[in-house]
Amino acid sequence: MKQDAIVKGIFLRIGPMKESLRHQSTKWWVGFGAVIISAVVLLIGLISLAAVSNSGIGLQSVAISLAFAAVLLFVTTLAKRLDSGRWTERRPVLWFVPLGAIAMMDVVVSLGLLLAQEEWLRFTVEITFAGVILGIILLLYTEGYPLLRDRGSAGFITIAGLTLVFLILYMTAISDWIVPYAPFDINVGGILAAPSPRFPLGTTDLGQDLLSRVIAGGAIMLQVAAISVAVCFVIGIPVGLLASYKGGVLDRIVSLVMDSLFAFPGLVLAIALAAMLGAGVVNMALAIAVVYIPSYFRVVRSQVLTVRELPYVEAAIVLGATDREVLLRYILPNVLPSAVVVMSINFADAILTAAGLTFVGLGLGIDITDWGRDLTTGAQYLNVVHAWWVISFPGLMIIILALGFTLTGEGLSEILTPKLRE
Amino acid sequence: MTDLLKIEDLIVEYKTRRGAARGVDRISLKLQKNKTLGLAGESGCGKSTLGRAIINLVPHPGKILSGNIILNLDEDVPYEGGIISTGEVNIPYLGEKEMRALRGKEIAYIFQDPMTSLNPMVSIGSHYVETIQAHEPDVEKEEALERGSKMLESLGILAERIKDYPHQFSGGMRQRVMVGLGLVLKPTLLIADEPTTSLDVVVEAQILREMAELKEKFNLTMILITHNLGVLAQTADSIAVVYCGRVAELASTEALFEAPKHPYTQALLQSVPDVTKPDKKLTWIPGAPPDLTHLVPGCVYNPRCPHAMEICRSVQPPLIEVDDSSLVACHLYGG
Amino acid sequence: MGLIEFKRVKKYFPIQRGFLESIFTKEKTFVRAVDDVSFSIAKGEVLGLVGESGSGKTTTGRLCVRLIAPTDGQILYEGKDIAKLHGKDLRLIRRRLQFTFQDPTSSLNPRMSIGNAIADAMRLQGIGTSDERKARTEEILERVGLSPVSTFYNRLPHQLSGGQKQRVVFARATILNPEFVVTDEPVAMVDVSIKAQILELMMDLKKEFDLTYLFITHDLATARHVCDRIAVMYLGRIVEVADRNRIYDDPLHPYSVGLMKAIPVPNPKVKSEAVLQGEIPSPIDPPTGCRFHPRCPKAFARCPVEEPELTDVGEDRQVACHLYS
Repeated sequence: MKQDAIVKGIFLRIGPMKESLRHQSTKWWVGFGAVIISAVVLLIGLISLAAVSNSGIGLQSVAISLAFAAVLLFVTTLAKRLDSGRWTERRPVLWFVPLGAIAMMDVVVSLGLLLAQEEWLRFTVEITFAGVILGIILLLYTEGYPLLRDRGSAGFITIAGLTLVFLILYMTAISDWIVPYAPFDINVGGILAAPSPRFPLGTTDLGQDLLSRVIAGGAIMLQVAAISVAVCFVIGIPVGLLASYKGGVLDRIVSLVMDSLFAFPGLVLAIALAAMLGAGVVNMALAIAVVYIPSYFRVVRSQVLTVRELPYVEAAIVLGATDREVLLRYILPNVLPSAVVVMSINFADAILTAAGLTFVGLGLGIDITDWGRDLTTGAQYLNVVHAWWVISFPGLMIIILALGFTLTGEGLSEILTPKLRE
Repeated sequence: MTDLLKIEDLIVEYKTRRGAARGVDRISLKLQKNKTLGLAGESGCGKSTLGRAIINLVPHPGKILSGNIILNLDEDVPYEGGIISTGEVNIPYLGEKEMRALRGKEIAYIFQDPMTSLNPMVSIGSHYVETIQAHEPDVEKEEALERGSKMLESLGILAERIKDYPHQFSGGMRQRVMVGLGLVLKPTLLIADEPTTSLDVVVEAQILREMAELKEKFNLTMILITHNLGVLAQTADSIAVVYCGRVAELASTEALFEAPKHPYTQALLQSVPDVTKPDKKLTWIPGAPPDLTHLVPGCVYNPRCPHAMEICRSVQPPLIEVDDSSLVACHLYGG
Repeated sequence: MGLIEFKRVKKYFPIQRGFLESIFTKEKTFVRAVDDVSFSIAKGEVLGLVGESGSGKTTTGRLCVRLIAPTDGQILYEGKDIAKLHGKDLRLIRRRLQFTFQDPTSSLNPRMSIGNAIADAMRLQGIGTSDERKARTEEILERVGLSPVSTFYNRLPHQLSGGQKQRVVFARATILNPEFVVTDEPVAMVDVSIKAQILELMMDLKKEFDLTYLFITHDLATARHVCDRIAVMYLGRIVEVADRNRIYDDPLHPYSVGLMKAIPVPNPKVKSEAVLQGEIPSPIDPPTGCRFHPRCPKAFARCPVEEPELTDVGEDRQVACHLYS
């Protein structure tokens, strides 16, 4: 009987689905329609790109990543049904089995496609990653939507933001295999050629296909943003926790340092630090991280100060908790949501700052595929030869990515900061 | 004795995402002049909603769905753009301008928490001036302050404290200030929502006494909303016990305490400690109040009622008169 | 010798002064929350600590379990002074001395399931393995009436009603099998029709675990129902201690008299009276001599001058009032 229910639950939810569909409002249908249409459009765009990919195995890559995502969805739903919705320790096992299987499949396929030796590792890693991202997007809509729907506009904003972010992430992950031309190949077309059917987004000053560069250009920024957020998290949150919980002199000194850093205009400070540290992804990330740590510190501090006074923290102390216990199990989980919100805004700002640093010349080398690089080049050529496309498309992508993070942050902020409801 | 207030078949509905919940489900009440009606019930039963419906200030997402709240005015009340003439007015059908004229002048409402009901940035005097000038725009500031000080004095606060700010007052004092604000325009009806709940017992006794004195002095009619049955026993002339938006029992105070009829009333009274009866065996009501968005058919109390009969599960009992002055909504008494 | 004994305990909280003020005035001001309080609680007894807000009863309760340390005086637990314990010793003592807070909602970590919250009590003391803790938690969930246990174990606090949350609070406090529990207004934030359920649970737990309670409340009617003896506090001092019947039927201290008369009885034939005027003054600058004298209807010459000590007046009661010494 239970087996029956599981199978029905995953594949044949049509009955109950029909029921719930009948109750949906027009607004819902519009939203649903918009999502489906956008998804179809994107899919078509993706496939047509993949068909003419430079690597030659574009379609296969997309197909594998889609398959991967489908498997992920299946497994998660299965696990959820078996668990009756609870997270237990059995889960990781269920995850890794199909993951491993697909990874192997990647290897097999790539070997079968006779890729060069050094390429199959990159292929496996990137396609796996792309598949996971796609899976997350699908999960967002199947699992996340019911959770967020109740939160009204905040939920909608969060989903929109996360969708944008993950779509760009997917595009970046799979970029190597679907780009029509290798992004750094010069002179594939004319110099600064306007958009045409052969080069839908035109070409750069070095004759590079802009479309390929736009598809692949997010990687650097995302890396910089990810590293800087990671550093901030690892430094900002523990420092915030300790300093504000202990209070006293430590708190005052650390607050002073953080406030001083916070007082600096972010971009200026980042420029100064980047100039000091030199070029490179890691250095850029560190420069940005330093600018952001005070934000995490402040948010964590205000949360800790509030939570610290609450009875359940005192209750833990009465039960015999040490300071460490209290911080890790009672205060941190209640502080994290706010930190996550700062994280999203941090991502957005990191991307913009990275673009800014590149613009000022403190980024990476000229030959790196990066939106910031194209933005800078485009700016130089904009007025001279009215080559508007070189600056516009990468700029648009930067905006969309930053927008995605910002929307996520805004939405999460409204969801996670409990407002007095009901 | 004329009725100052008549509530007829009032329904107030809250539209939540989980469904529609009736905060007030067809309540009918009559309130005689110069009497104190107590609205008793536990948290979430609808007594506050009912109180706020009377001044048409039901918080979002609630709305008065249907029913009448008829107020008997004994004088003309001018409002921005006209005059409400003496006689009966039906509150749900009045516009916002008319309501603004009525609130404060005819019906005063004292909110639950004195800590947050006063604007901390503004002196007490300013609160009084604002209230008075909102309804009598020709009154000068000095005169308004004078009236405010007199009101404070009658509540046991030194007149010169009219200049002070809310944070300089203790909880009990702030509640007195609120009572004063409610009464400064000499309204006909005063609705007090849990006026002494956040206060200590000594201050509570003082404020209850002061309110009783003021009621006499100003010929007030009062509605006292509270879950504290002890307070109602001391101050109310009649009590309506509210459960899940409906009136379970409406009786004179003596009748209610001496011979409670509705099983819910009986259970409530059994669960309240009485300091004069230390050996009273306290009981409680098993289960929990139902989810208002998914009500069971029949009497809303039946899942928890020890006397539930077959009819209770299908038919909602109407509120019927049982004897002298008691009304009960229970199948045990016919109906 | 009682289980818990307070000997002349004082707790003063310093007030933060502004920068300029602290330069110009050398003397510090304190909130004298608990000012020379002595009492003892016998094993197995329920002592009620009643008073209005500002009386110092909550601070006293917190001192009993060493949530805070006293400024002066001794707190004896089974004869040993716990006033100056720190670190590991203090944490060990915590097994025996527990505290329940007034608001069940803010007493529970909103991100921890209630099962984990209760089991954590054992984990923090390093007792038992993970499975043992789970088993014991399930036992106690059953004991406090939160069944079926498997459903409740993983629930988060916001999914429970007020009464259910308070039961979780008591489960957590008693899972370590303590000896002494201070409960601060255990039923103040619980619905009227459920109060008795929580009170009965408390008494059941008392019988089963052989507990001793300090019951802090301003609800005098409830206190009479559950306590054996009642101590009345006013502005940081105990003014009267007597058994539950005498304190209500025949209060001696004028404040106690005023308190008892003010209780609104759920009986329209018994009227409450507002005998006392004014309000409790600020604990920063209490009146000289007997702190109650400005409001006392029976005050005489000696009262503003000399502070009365809590003295034995026979029949197992003590009063701090010049009328009786």
